[in-house]
Amino acid sequence: MHTTLQASPSPPSILNRLRVWLGGSYAPYLYIAPFFILFLAFGFYPLAYAFRLSFTEWRGAGEPIFIGLENYTFLLSNSFFWNSLQNSAVLWLLIVPLQTLMAVFAASLLSRQIWFRSFFRVVFLIPYLVPLVAIAQIWLILFDKNFGAINTILQSIGIEPIGWLTTGSWSKPTMALMVFWKGSGFAVLIMLAAIQNISQEIYESAALDGANGFQQFFRITIPLMRRSIVFFMIISTLGILQMFAEPYVLTQGGPYNSTVTAGFALFRYTRNLDLGTGSANSFLLMIIVVVLSLIMLRMLREKETS
Amino acid sequence: MNPSIAAVSTTRPAAQMQRFSLSRILIYLFLFGMSAFFLFPLVWMFLSSFKPPTDIAALPLQFDLATFSFANYEAMFRNVPILSGFKNTLIVIILKGSITLLFAPLAAYAFAKLRFRGRQFLFNIVLATLMLPPIVMLIPLLLQMGTLGWVDTFQALVLPGAIGAFYIFLMRQQFADVPDELLDAGRVDGCSSFQLYRLIVLPMMRPALSALAILVFLDVYNDFVWPSLVTNSIDMQTLQVMLSYLYTQINNAAVGTTGSNAWGQVMAASAVATIPLLIVFIVLQRHFIRGIMAGALKG
Repeated sequence: MHTTLQASPSPPSILNRLRVWLGGSYAPYLYIAPFFILFLAFGFYPLAYAFRLSFTEWRGAGEPIFIGLENYTFLLSNSFFWNSLQNSAVLWLLIVPLQTLMAVFAASLLSRQIWFRSFFRVVFLIPYLVPLVAIAQIWLILFDKNFGAINTILQSIGIEPIGWLTTGSWSKPTMALMVFWKGSGFAVLIMLAAIQNISQEIYESAALDGANGFQQFFRITIPLMRRSIVFFMIISTLGILQMFAEPYVLTQGGPYNSTVTAGFALFRYTRNLDLGTGSANSFLLMIIVVVLSLIMLRMLREKETS
Repeated sequence: MNPSIAAVSTTRPAAQMQRFSLSRILIYLFLFGMSAFFLFPLVWMFLSSFKPPTDIAALPLQFDLATFSFANYEAMFRNVPILSGFKNTLIVIILKGSITLLFAPLAAYAFAKLRFRGRQFLFNIVLATLMLPPIVMLIPLLLQMGTLGWVDTFQALVLPGAIGAFYIFLMRQQFADVPDELLDAGRVDGCSSFQLYRLIVLPMMRPALSALAILVFLDVYNDFVWPSLVTNSIDMQTLQVMLSYLYTQINNAAVGTTGSNAWGQVMAASAVATIPLLIVFIVLQRHFIRGIMAGALKG
């Protein structure tokens, strides 16, 4: 693009020296400029704005009133905030360990020569493609207390109707099941990619030494896939912390705030037009997310080197 | 199964073979059990969408071919402007998709293959933005749209989040595979950096680009948090937003159709929103899996 300029025999101007200093061409900057322009406008600017708002009291009209760290101290002494973190932790326990184990196991089966292999691979992945809003509607109807299919099945074997989405003790497992349903195919896919890198010879020699299927699974498959397992647990942990869409479509955080996740909590403040507190909540969540990702990335690196 | 067992049985004692086939049975029980779990909600949705509305609540587990009807679909298309939702989603996919497919690979190419001052520093900024939880930006971004007067516009649906840092990161990983010798040869022939990109890099990276396209398609088609916040009027709602407000819209359209009576239409709408994805998935399965695998690196 700028190579034509080289032909000009003019003495080195400031602009020319700048170009040489930059590496010979302005073109690379042009190529990356669109991202940075959009990020400055719709990423950095809102972030800086929210940071400023987090130190103010503002309800969407008039001038924001500076109140220092009050929003932060309010949140840190508020049970709603801690409750949202606790809800996320419970959801994590309900989803991640079981999903990881299931995915590794399923992947170890699907990587072998078995019947209907491509059928299983497609079926496991389909839920990942179903729009979240659609599956939430299905869940709402299937798990309806009075007319839902699940309670109808249970009633036929003599179990009283359960308020899956209307009681605080069942709402989290019901939501966790939906997340599990939707995300498992993705987990299996990651594990499949990892398992195909394990050499078959290891299994063959283990079989010669008399290791049975279970021993092979726990002594060979899981240790050799540690990197992918840790990686999957990192992204699902971050995903669950920021989870927002799932409670938004399924429960609106209810009943009794039992499904208010860390990500959904800040939306509550915003909807009530308490924008200062909402912004402060955003930044507390961001600190948690960044610290956690740094810790987990370090774990991943240590495991790699060890 | 049979030939492999036959082969094994010649070399192994009978007792071991028996255990082997028992574990086989357990394996298939597990796989078919999981498949049933994954398919049941979808099959149930499709079947329910063809049942009389009252039967969905009264007889949730039965399906009678005699009562098969398209009534739910007819009522749903009458009550909900779902085609306009499809149209809006399509427009956003085309606009956001073109911007992303045009500029994300270009930036990735600069980061992967061109030398310029501050390259590592600027790329680190791109990586750092990946760690920002999108949800933090939601509130101020919405306020910003209000100030700009962009609520209920396509630019609000398209521009925030276009050329995502993640897409650049993803493409840079792929572009690193392009041999430098090839680019050097092109430079000797007098190609500008953009010509190198267009004539050498892009043709080589077609699979990566189609994976990116599928990823963007999935992301935009399924996205609804931002579209639901930034659209007010029903004319601007995307498909997913419309789907999330179904109950309200059905209630407004037909007085008396509340609660479980609307279920048939809700299932019909969910089916209509799901079918295009399933069709595209089955047709483009290989590319899809590649695209999702690429997305696996997200986070």
